[in-house]
Amino acid sequence: MSQRLKLGKLWDIYGTLCILLVIVVLFSALSPTYFTRPENIVQIFLQSSITIMIALGEFFPILIAGIDLSVGSVLALTGMITAQLMVAGFDPTLAVLIGGVGGGLALGAVNGLLVNFTGLHPFIITLGTNAIFRGVTMIISGASPVFGFSYDFVNTVTGFVGFVPVPVIFALSFAVVLWFFTAKTRLGRNIYAVGGNKESAFYSGIDVKLHTLIVFMISGLCAGLAGVLSIARLGAAEPAAGTGFETYAIAAVIIGGTSFFGGKGRIPSVVIGGLIIGTINNGLNILRVPTFYQLVVMGGLIISAVALDRLIARMR
Amino acid sequence: MRLPHSSPSGTSLPRRAGRFLNSRPIDGPSEIDMSNLAPNTAAPTGIEEAAPIVRMIGIEKHFNNVAVLKGVNLDIRPGEVHVLLGENGAGKSTLMKILTGIHEPTGGEIVLDGVSRPLVTPREASEAGISIIYQELSVINELSALENLFVGRLPVKRHLGIPVVDWKLMEAEARSIIGRLGLGGLDLHKPVGEMPIAHRQIIEIAKSLMKNVRVLVMDEPTSSLTSVETERLFALVRQLKAEGTAILFISHKLDEVRDIGDTFSVLKDGVSTGHGHISEYTNDDLVRMMVGRVVKQRFLSEQPIDHASTPVFKVENVTSADRKRVRDVSFEVHHGEVLGFAGLVGSGRTDLMNCLFGAEPRAAGKIVLNGKDITPRNPVDAVKSGMAYLTENRRQTGFTPNFTIEGNIAVTKSVKDAPLRGTWGLVDRKAERVTAEGQRKQLSIRCAGIDQSILELSGGNQQKVLVGKWMSISPSVIIFDEPTRGIDVGAKSQIHEIIRTLASAGKAVIMVSSELPEILAVCDRVAVFRNGRIMDILDGATATEESILSVAMRDGK
Repeated sequence: MSQRLKLGKLWDIYGTLCILLVIVVLFSALSPTYFTRPENIVQIFLQSSITIMIALGEFFPILIAGIDLSVGSVLALTGMITAQLMVAGFDPTLAVLIGGVGGGLALGAVNGLLVNFTGLHPFIITLGTNAIFRGVTMIISGASPVFGFSYDFVNTVTGFVGFVPVPVIFALSFAVVLWFFTAKTRLGRNIYAVGGNKESAFYSGIDVKLHTLIVFMISGLCAGLAGVLSIARLGAAEPAAGTGFETYAIAAVIIGGTSFFGGKGRIPSVVIGGLIIGTINNGLNILRVPTFYQLVVMGGLIISAVALDRLIARMR
Repeated sequence: MRLPHSSPSGTSLPRRAGRFLNSRPIDGPSEIDMSNLAPNTAAPTGIEEAAPIVRMIGIEKHFNNVAVLKGVNLDIRPGEVHVLLGENGAGKSTLMKILTGIHEPTGGEIVLDGVSRPLVTPREASEAGISIIYQELSVINELSALENLFVGRLPVKRHLGIPVVDWKLMEAEARSIIGRLGLGGLDLHKPVGEMPIAHRQIIEIAKSLMKNVRVLVMDEPTSSLTSVETERLFALVRQLKAEGTAILFISHKLDEVRDIGDTFSVLKDGVSTGHGHISEYTNDDLVRMMVGRVVKQRFLSEQPIDHASTPVFKVENVTSADRKRVRDVSFEVHHGEVLGFAGLVGSGRTDLMNCLFGAEPRAAGKIVLNGKDITPRNPVDAVKSGMAYLTENRRQTGFTPNFTIEGNIAVTKSVKDAPLRGTWGLVDRKAERVTAEGQRKQLSIRCAGIDQSILELSGGNQQKVLVGKWMSISPSVIIFDEPTRGIDVGAKSQIHEIIRTLASAGKAVIMVSSELPEILAVCDRVAVFRNGRIMDILDGATATEESILSVAMRDGK
């Protein structure tokens, strides 16, 4: 019995990694010359960094048995605000602090406050705010992309430290911060308690509404930072940026073994979940699978990965 | 009085002759030496013995090489209420799951209607008329009573060749059966979720009756019923018994077991430790068979309580926001005192506790602890100012299922110690482990270790973990709402002792309970609650079940 339990625990921690390895082995076999090249590995990390960034935020609403469907729009709106501030002559750092960090936190707070005050399920709230934030993005940009911000900004954000791209460093170090936050702080642990059972958390003296607000602010912050990464990468703020990104973010979180019922999940596994999505995208591109087919394969792989996880979890 | 013989889907079974034999059977020899448990009456003279509907012989069950049942025998005879006793974790539920076909036994045999077999399938059990009513009722709260009764087998008639649900037929059948159970006036079209638990239970019983039940297993059916509702249920059980149904009754409440049961079996750690006629044994005998020791029954304060002194805890004019469920409640709890709250379910006792703890909005009220106004706006305030509240429903509002024992114990202390509404700061794992380990030892929580998931514990041990969670913040006021619901005799008396110890340590203890014997065993004073008000506060030493009930049901506005 204890052996099976141990196996289950190991799977909880390393399961997602195993799935990633299987996918890597699969693509290496299908494309032995190109896929395993170091520059392609770096490329995979780079392509995954925005997904990882959003998924890190999405992890928290899902951890309290909620969801945030507005991350794609938050990415677009915060990116747009940052871009417009820079074009208006703001210092890039200040623009990022106001647009990316401040904007992300504020939009997340809007979600959190709406959830708290209406008592509606976050699915409904963020379905609504997703449309609202997208609409605001279109309004403030006149639905056209914003270009022409400083080269310094673009060069810094898309640059490298050694051979590692800055967005990768950014996403991974943010993951480390959040990992510490979830594992070591009272706030982090209380979020798990709220996710496990809101009512017992409430009766234990945990301020459930405060935690809900914080959770959505973290989600907004991550999407806001992803917005900054995204405008730097594209060199422009697209009003339609990030459309459908919530799907990838949710997929990464769920592939990472996070329970939809709340209270169970780990940050490192979410990072690996994001890498899995990036790897599949990259691998299919290398194999020259046409985009439409890629969607089909991607969907299938998401379902299989999660089904496999649950199958193994049930074998305990 | 007869049950309707045919159900619309035609699943009914013919009655067996044994059903109408209504004899008092004598028992076979007990399999353990009980010479030290001298029967206090002479053996009754049974005349004839009805053949058992089900005999379970030498049942064994292993889960992953852990033996849960080690050769258990059980005979179930028609027209008899057989009580299955045993502490939580003794194997009662496993045995029931084997009887209903959910688990396969590892060894032993089951003789069903004279045919021996190694196991029964759920289908065989159902066809033989074995039906179980679980403690967590399985009615679907969103459906009406009518739909619940016919769920999965809605009768159909044809209108112009199109099959439609035959509501008239359903209503007629349901009326007759519900009427028989003494609930004639029940609104069959109301969602059962809006009905009191007692009514839901009766619907569940009606559901089994419609399937032509011969063996009705009731798993702690009275755990959430008031005394009046329990009496009504017992009348119903007696009626079924008179009609020849075999009832297997699982309960922890010895007094009611004595009231309703004819024969009994006791399980302890997966072994049968006794069986016989209940009337031949005292409660102490039964408890000894269950736990192997005598459990102390009454724990009142040893020192007289000084009611003239400044109270530890004082509540003034608390009224709930709706001004209905809790109306203008004031009381005091003194040093060393346990104040009990008795009253019918639904009288507003839990609402009052929620109001005290800041978990429910108040229209008015002041809460004073050691002379200081602490009136909490929410549970965060309450925890921070030293209140503790063991809630009524372990699973819903008590524990955090995704946490270990350690996590469940540590979370409250962490909230109390941390600044900024209990959110700021780092988790000190080392200190938390020490706290949790201390509580585990002090409360003798039976577990593999504090890293075990709370879900893997028995109800009694889960409750002890929750007690530990509140003890770890050393509160000054502790509210226990139904602290021993659904837990076994051993854990129960231990919790009573803890309550008493807390009071003698100078804490103000409030205990809500629907079990009057428990109230009388532990409380120094008893506040009787009715319609959101304290009707009277009785002295615990002189109060009786009758005196409490008469106040609880006294007519008044």
